[in-house]
Amino acid sequence: MNTTRPRIQSLIFEVTQDCNHACLHCYNVWQPAGCSSYPRGQLDPSRTLDLLAKALDETVCSHVTLTGGEPLLRLDLPQILEFLQKRRVRVTVISNGRLLNERTATSLIQRGVGLFELPLLSHRGEVHDELSGAPGAWEAVLSAMANVRLQHGQVVAAFVATRKNIEHLRETIRLAFAFGARGIMLNRFNPGGRGREHLEELLPTVEQVRTALAVAEAATVEFCLPISCSIPIQPCLIDISHFPHLGFGFCAAGSERAYYALDPLGNLRPCNHSDTILGNLFEESFTDLIAPERMSVFTCAIPGFCMDCARRLECQGGCKASAQVCYGSLTAEEPFLQQNQLGTSKINPKTATRIPTSTRG
Amino acid sequence: MSISRRDFMKLVGTSVASLALTSCRIPLPVSCYAPMPPSPYPTDPMTAKGRLRRCWLSFGELAQATLQDSSQGNTDNDFSEQLIAEHRSALDDLVVTGKLTPSVANLIQEAYDAAVYHVWRSNAPMTCYVPMIVDYAPASAGVLVQQSEVLSEVGDESSIDPETLAKAQAALEHDMAFYALTDAEVTSLYERIVTEWQSQQRTVPAFENMELEITPDAKAAAQFIISLFTDQ
Repeated sequence: MNTTRPRIQSLIFEVTQDCNHACLHCYNVWQPAGCSSYPRGQLDPSRTLDLLAKALDETVCSHVTLTGGEPLLRLDLPQILEFLQKRRVRVTVISNGRLLNERTATSLIQRGVGLFELPLLSHRGEVHDELSGAPGAWEAVLSAMANVRLQHGQVVAAFVATRKNIEHLRETIRLAFAFGARGIMLNRFNPGGRGREHLEELLPTVEQVRTALAVAEAATVEFCLPISCSIPIQPCLIDISHFPHLGFGFCAAGSERAYYALDPLGNLRPCNHSDTILGNLFEESFTDLIAPERMSVFTCAIPGFCMDCARRLECQGGCKASAQVCYGSLTAEEPFLQQNQLGTSKINPKTATRIPTSTRG
Repeated sequence: MSISRRDFMKLVGTSVASLALTSCRIPLPVSCYAPMPPSPYPTDPMTAKGRLRRCWLSFGELAQATLQDSSQGNTDNDFSEQLIAEHRSALDDLVVTGKLTPSVANLIQEAYDAAVYHVWRSNAPMTCYVPMIVDYAPASAGVLVQQSEVLSEVGDESSIDPETLAKAQAALEHDMAFYALTDAEVTSLYERIVTEWQSQQRTVPAFENMELEITPDAKAAAQFIISLFTDQ
């Protein structure tokens, strides 16, 4: 067994698979219920803390993101937070905001939650509610944002860009700004989980995404609000150097910037979009689970379509986890590329513009 | 205050890296046709201490390499690994010659590992899906005024629950109130916060009263790192 502790920038812990919403775009790998063969269940509170202790003991990791499902449905969430607080780990909570009332917001902030990532899918309540699969979701998330800000917590708003809401982007950013969000995550719809069932209905076109980026570029200046586009956008589809104020990210799986996902049973995956289980942390060490010989299948996969591209190593074809979940292969073209590959432009290695990278998010 | 030796050395390493990054320059070898200006840090790369000094002065180069690697999709972090290995090797040489004890050398390596990670992390770009880096400083007064105007417009033109709007307004007013405070009021506010904290049995000692439990080894390791920058 290798005894070196790997450094990881962030660990994603899926505290529960339960959820009180039914988002059309949900990428949880255990969705859709009844169709997915992904293991279901969660450990009891004591074993959960044992799991987190093992993960933190075996890595150099200073940031944990708690997500789900809906993490606030987990009754022992306060104990989990207190444990992480004692370990001096920074914590982000990804929630739909439904249960984030004033009292809960206070409790979570006191237990060290530094950042809340909440969805804001439209400035129109009925559109947000439809995408969330839950009536009242929009009012709930606005209330949650206000509650967090009232307790001096920090919020970023996540906008998942789909065909149904992409034209609402500017007004949604404006609404998030009004409610005190300190940043916007502009994520194009990345099919997986339940989202696979709504692929045609939700996947935006390249032109729609390009227009949305232009809107976001103007909005980030207008509202002094950082906007990051975290789901990869292939440079052959859209020249993202035209949007210098936006942050862009590409797949970091296998690197120190990877965001390994730990499910409620202790199964470790390369990221939260991937359904590949590297192994169970109770059975093997973290180092062994992420050893190059295991991860290389994931990290080295590049679609055949991209093999001649000068930027294949940075872009990697986009989100291969989505390719795997949707089409069963890590080397398949992921849906956004597959549905738009006729419109790609060849990247010339001599004229390729470097992708602007940003540390400001 | 109790602080572990390892944590202390990590703090030392990170602090030194932050300071060094503001003015560090790697001494490049003089080459034919390219005379170099004298380095502010005389370095003999043939000695173990000289090699260590060069490692500690390479943070600017590491920052550049991190940015460059990231823009080219290379996440292997090779230069970090190379620096860490070179640093360890030079320390081992000093241990062999008896100039450092193994325990002090290990602590210096802890500090260097933390410093390299700090520089790398500070220059690596954001990645897919990791929540964005948020500036925790209070929003500027100008932004808050703009936010107030937009919130008012949003309230007029949408069907948001008035109670929710009122909470958002209250949160905004809390933020704005901070800018209306005088210096004396800000000081008073901080004193009140400290008092409240102390009332919960969480005592905040004055800095001069802090008892930093630093072992002789940790102290020796920290002094050695400082000597890399100050010794002539």
